Amino acid sequence: MKGKKCIFYIGRKLLSILVSLWLLSFAVFFVARLAPGGPLVSYYGERAERMTAEEREMARERLLLTGSPVKQYVRWMKNALRGDFGISFKYKRSVPEVIAERLGNTLVLGGCGFVLIFGLAVLIGMLCAFFANSRTDRFLCRLGTILSAVPEFWVALVLILIFAVKLRVLPASGAYTIGIESFADRVRHLILPLTVVVSGHLWYYAYMVHNMLLDEMTKDYVLLAKSKGLGINRILFCHCMRNVLPGYLSIMAVSVPHILGGTYIVENVFSYPGIGTLCYESARYQDYNLLMVLAMLTGAVVIVCNLFAQMITDSFL
Amino acid sequence: MRLSECIGMDPAAVWGTDFCVYFYLGDFTERKRGGRKVSESEDARFRVVGIRKAPILQMKPEAAVRHRRIPLFSMAVLGMILFGCLFFGPFLEEKAVYMELGQAFAAPDFRFWFGTDTMGRDIFSMIWYGGRISLVIGFLATLISTGIAVVLGTVSGLAPGWMDAVLMRFTETFLSIPGLLLTVFFQAACGKTTVVSLSFVIGLAGWPAMAKVVRARVRQLKGCEFVIASKCMGGGFFHILRQHLAPNFFSSILFMMVMNIRSAIAAESTLSFMGIGLPLEIISWGSMLSLSGQALLSGAWWMIVIPGGFLAATLLCVTEIADAVRRRGGEMR
Amino acid sequence: MSEEKALLEVEHLSVGFLTEFGEVQAVRDVSFSVKKGECLAIVGESGSGKSAICRAIMKLLPEEGHIRQGRIVADGTDITEYCESQMKRLRGSLFSMVFQNPLDALNPAMTVGAQIGEAVAAHEPHMSFRRRRERIQELMELVGIDNPKERSLQYGCQLSGGMRQRIVLACALAGRPKLLFADEPTTALDMTVQAQILALLREVRRRFLTAVVFVTHDLSVARQTADYVAVMYAGKIVEIGTAAEIFENPGHPYTWGLMRSLPAFSEGKKGLYAIPGMPPSLVNPPPGDAFACRNEYALAIDYEEEPPMFWLSDTHGLASWLADRRAPKIVPPPGIGALCGCEPAKGADRKQAAGVAAAPREAGEERSAVCTAAGAEPGKAGGRSGREGRAGMKARILLDVRHVTKDFSISKRQSFRALDDVSLDIREGEIFGLVGESGSGKSTLARLIMRIDAPDAGEIFFDGIPVCGRKEFRRNRRFFQTGCQMIFQDSGSSLNPRMKVAEILAEPFHIQKLKPKRGSLREEADFLLKYVGMEADFLDRYPQELSGGQRQRVAIARALATEPKLVIADEAIASLDVSIQAQIVNLFGRLQKEQGFSFLFIAHDLRMVKFLCDRVGVMYRGRLVETGPTPGLFADPAHEYTKRLLSFGLGGNW
Repeated sequence: MKGKKCIFYIGRKLLSILVSLWLLSFAVFFVARLAPGGPLVSYYGERAERMTAEEREMARERLLLTGSPVKQYVRWMKNALRGDFGISFKYKRSVPEVIAERLGNTLVLGGCGFVLIFGLAVLIGMLCAFFANSRTDRFLCRLGTILSAVPEFWVALVLILIFAVKLRVLPASGAYTIGIESFADRVRHLILPLTVVVSGHLWYYAYMVHNMLLDEMTKDYVLLAKSKGLGINRILFCHCMRNVLPGYLSIMAVSVPHILGGTYIVENVFSYPGIGTLCYESARYQDYNLLMVLAMLTGAVVIVCNLFAQMITDSFL
Repeated sequence: MRLSECIGMDPAAVWGTDFCVYFYLGDFTERKRGGRKVSESEDARFRVVGIRKAPILQMKPEAAVRHRRIPLFSMAVLGMILFGCLFFGPFLEEKAVYMELGQAFAAPDFRFWFGTDTMGRDIFSMIWYGGRISLVIGFLATLISTGIAVVLGTVSGLAPGWMDAVLMRFTETFLSIPGLLLTVFFQAACGKTTVVSLSFVIGLAGWPAMAKVVRARVRQLKGCEFVIASKCMGGGFFHILRQHLAPNFFSSILFMMVMNIRSAIAAESTLSFMGIGLPLEIISWGSMLSLSGQALLSGAWWMIVIPGGFLAATLLCVTEIADAVRRRGGEMR
Repeated sequence: MSEEKALLEVEHLSVGFLTEFGEVQAVRDVSFSVKKGECLAIVGESGSGKSAICRAIMKLLPEEGHIRQGRIVADGTDITEYCESQMKRLRGSLFSMVFQNPLDALNPAMTVGAQIGEAVAAHEPHMSFRRRRERIQELMELVGIDNPKERSLQYGCQLSGGMRQRIVLACALAGRPKLLFADEPTTALDMTVQAQILALLREVRRRFLTAVVFVTHDLSVARQTADYVAVMYAGKIVEIGTAAEIFENPGHPYTWGLMRSLPAFSEGKKGLYAIPGMPPSLVNPPPGDAFACRNEYALAIDYEEEPPMFWLSDTHGLASWLADRRAPKIVPPPGIGALCGCEPAKGADRKQAAGVAAAPREAGEERSAVCTAAGAEPGKAGGRSGREGRAGMKARILLDVRHVTKDFSISKRQSFRALDDVSLDIREGEIFGLVGESGSGKSTLARLIMRIDAPDAGEIFFDGIPVCGRKEFRRNRRFFQTGCQMIFQDSGSSLNPRMKVAEILAEPFHIQKLKPKRGSLREEADFLLKYVGMEADFLDRYPQELSGGQRQRVAIARALATEPKLVIADEAIASLDVSIQAQIVNLFGRLQKEQGFSFLFIAHDLRMVKFLCDRVGVMYRGRLVETGPTPGLFADPAHEYTKRLLSFGLGGNW
């Protein structure tokens, strides 16, 4: 009975993912085509402006851009279901190829960033709750307020200015130096972007853990635990964390896309070859095919993370 | 002399001095009457007098506590920036837009206090002139998102179950997409950028969190007994909304409104920096920073640090104020 | 006082709480001691500082609280200056604590067995796993939990209220403490469960010779459990002594007042006795005796000088100038000592009835505009028989509830039947009391009558018009909305925190567009406020600046603004202190008499119901199991549940 229920549950969730993705593709497809200008410029570059009307029409046909938007959408959908996502107008290569090349970089940056944020936030939150109202607590809170108030891209710029331009100790851009590609080199390239990603998001989550813990500390069961003779360490770690953790996990699951969104900007500043720069370019140069797949990819991450969060909430709270 | 006599012992020893001072000021007449009686005879003190009216003390928070939490410094700094941008900025327009390529990349000196940018524009003038745009976008975007949030939140809070579910699903979808991506996408769809269109785009991305708070508060208030009582007395939808709901949820979204100003200013600068916000000709703190790529190459730190510093200071002050607003709201509840 | 060394000695303890209104002096100069195996009950109203004492001794005060001065000696050592790590060693092994709300006291994310085990491990860290498990089961059996093996794997939310409190007790006993603080352990529980928990505590005391400090607001509970009693008022102990001394020979006017507030005392009299006024603010405690301004026997010196503790015997201390040799001898109101002993003499009773009528009238009501009318009202003792006669005459039926059923769905498949085929009627000018445990459907019925919810089956008629029909309701909307008013349980949330009292009282006039009879809305609000015994000063206050009793008065005034025919009070006194409860019940009685509305009084306190109501209905698990006129039903209950309720609820003489 239970297994059957479980399968039913998962099946329903999967169905809802598919429906959501379809709706998303629909919305993105049409909103993207609302924008003025066209993708011809990005494909043919300067040449597009000198084309005759006939040449233009032919070019459009080659890029599968003729017919009404609805027709185009149906065509895109058919191709996509067959696994053909078209070509990127800007890179003139098939879309999955372009994305696959860069996905790894983003996963490294975003993944490391997420893990660091996830762990450090708990650590700092507990530290602040443990030393509530002490100097450490106030200093960390202050630092957090300042760092999270300042826009990420500016922090990145200042860091580049200091470490790359003035001190010349760390590289300012890219994921690796072309031709070297060693592990150490990659790490050196990661340091600055990672610092910015973490320092931008960390505080919000640390502050949240801190608040949740302090909230728990005022509850009656803490009094009972104290009157049983338990120490503050044990109460904080065993009692309060246990109640805070499910909520924290579900919030972290929801925030995966937000942290990814943050890396997009950082990638941009550091010209880090990842999905973020690609997203930005595809939106800017109206690279429809690329944009569609990227939007679907982001959407899928968002939806799956939300589902995760919901499952955590369902089973723990 | 009499006073201490009638008290018999020094109350300061029992309750602390500050209280005594208050007491003497507050209830002096009572005390004098008592004092006279004491001097008359000892027996009179041991007479049954029964219930006397106790003075009704007004419970008011202590002045010191109320004032301690106002972020005076932040308000002063923000006030200066606002004042400078709004009243000082327009006069600097001529200097701010004047380009002279011969003077490009000039470091800060007596002529150009904050240096010049790649096109030889005076950064000092641009800061004050461009700050206006950044601030206007911040406020306008907040206004738009607050409007959407309040309408959707109340409707969703008061509507029957299915409608609430639909609206909330919609809101959550918006909420789960990173705000900046949403703005980039809208911005791309919008095409040509103006101040109003950018505010609109930023405002459109900023409402979901607030709408959720409004809805949660409305749901919570809806079950409150004073709302039920009002309904039982026959209060209509608008009566309840105006009298009971709005005053009570306003304090909880005030904090978010202030925070929204912050994130809207930050979003404007980020978008402009990435080159999809305001174009270079419309001077704002963000569009000034969009030149930082060239600044990095030439090591012109002032082009990054100075506009960014102003931006950061503004955002920090707004955050501080928002924090104070939130603490106040917490106390009220 | 005797040679045996005290387990706990508290000397001149003062505790302060920093709030934004200033420092609240919650405990002021309190001294007492507890010996091994003794039970000390600390009795007082909420806000009298009784819980703060326990927490201060265990150093469990919240951040804003601190010990201002005093000395705490536990088991021979001075622990006043002990730091957290030193206290940690004492907690659980020397003293432990049981809390008011057992659900909050258990960690929702841990099994109850784990929580007990943790307490065991805190004191015997080297105990083997198996031995610890045995100890957990032993403790659970000790506190009377059957099936300890299975229960220990459950979570707090899966257990009933009484069961949770037993688990909390098991946690507290795990370290074999010599002293147990019980902070209102029975207040949040239903009557029947209360008695079981009290019995369990007695059992624990007997078996382990644990000393207990029992904090309660309920004199009858104190009487059932304690050897020694300390009565607290406004942060001070006003009277302390053995249970016999306190209950048979109380000396402090406040203790008298508390005893007289018990409904048993007022039985057969015209009004419940209520201590006039309300407790003082502890931010600026009044000089002299804090109780003076509520004390009808106050001496002039009470307003000026704080009374020291006069010792009447070795154990009986009294902080009142009445005990001074220069003070006139005041005879306590007759019947106080007798109340605790056997039946009061008939003659004394009558004499005292006259005394009560003359002396204590509510301070607020004395100034009220309608006071003359109130003074002239016929005695309740006389009124009752008259009222019964009226009911017998078959006055018109105002409210008719016919076979009403209401389900609430818990999930998609499960639903919970809150009301099951309930029928009752209320006549014009009748006070109908509805009693039952929490969750028995009383409030649901009230909500159905007020059209907040709709019934699933059955009909409700108000003055002959069906309430539930949409069409009929629309046609008679105004009639319903003005004719039927409700007073809620939680005085905190029944008034909008952002509206001033004057605005709150004017709201019904606004909504119904009624013309204020007394000229302006302000005057109308002023009149209403005076009518319920409050002063006009309060018109410009916000609800959070008022005390619970005052807020409830404002809610009552608002309900009366439309001159309703039917007033429903849903547990309106449950969250108030005893002395304030009596004031409100008296107010209900007076208002009902003057206005002649029908009154549905929902409560779980049988004593108040017995006092106020003409007819009573008993609800049990969604069914109305018994109705009948008050005297008959209380004298001769027919249903099994009523009998059980009565035997616990009225607790013999109390």
